[in-house]
Amino acid sequence: MSGVIAGGWEYVIAAYAATAVVLGGYAASVFLRWRTERNRAATESGGGRTT
Amino acid sequence: MAAASQGPLPKGLVAVGAVLLCIGSYWGLAQAPGEIFMGDVQRIMYVHVPTAWNAMLALTFAFVCAVFFLFTNSWKWDNRLEAAMEMGVVLSLLLCTQGAIWAKPTWGVWWDWDPRLTTTAVMVFAFGGILALRAFVDDPMKRAVWSAVACIVAFADVPIVYFSVKWWNSLHQAQSTPATVSKAFHWPLRINAFGILFLWAGLVALRTRVAALRLRSEIAPPLPAPSARGTDARASGSAW
Repeated sequence: MSGVIAGGWEYVIAAYAATAVVLGGYAASVFLRWRTERNRAATESGGGRTT
Repeated sequence: MAAASQGPLPKGLVAVGAVLLCIGSYWGLAQAPGEIFMGDVQRIMYVHVPTAWNAMLALTFAFVCAVFFLFTNSWKWDNRLEAAMEMGVVLSLLLCTQGAIWAKPTWGVWWDWDPRLTTTAVMVFAFGGILALRAFVDDPMKRAVWSAVACIVAFADVPIVYFSVKWWNSLHQAQSTPATVSKAFHWPLRINAFGILFLWAGLVALRTRVAALRLRSEIAPPLPAPSARGTDARASGSAW
């Protein structure tokens, strides 16, 4: 027992992967909701679907 | 509604934030040296600490929005409050996940009822609960006032989370500041901190527009009967 942690890259990769998945997933959900609401607002105001 | 207007700023902020996060993460993973005791596991700090700072910052912004809403009764502050609380909860959940992953190799457990972790869990459940309960209130004004008051009450936990490691001698280490972190670790930490800051600022701006558009359709007057549509419908649409 040296008091020094050896290895542990699997934890590092897991933490960075979790960060990418959560932030990327949330960003995608916000963009999708934005697009949906924008299209719905355009449809309701009679402007048709926008891209 | 100005909040519902289109503009490139949110997407630009998100793009800058994503680029900074990639640079900071590469620096932290490949360029920065390992820590003397924790070795490579310490590299989790480059995402964990910036996430913690930004989670508290997003919730502080939500608190500011709640106060402004109660003083001004302006819908834009309620829309911002909803967006900032959601972002704060997402960052707090991510924070707990990263912390658990870091805790396992360093403490030997995924979770411990240490004051910092416990107060963070309370923060997640308090703000997450407000967001969940918002969905059950139909009256927009009641929902906005109720959420603003609840947000102000829940915010009392945020400074407790921050100072918990100073007030109680616990398992969790003290706050990471430039004074407590080696200079070799500064750059990836700062770049990732600004990366997440830009990212959440852009996402909150975009999420605010989503909330504004939903509110607009929620409180819009009902469309006239099909036979009466035409000029009336256009007139009601132009009120926005």
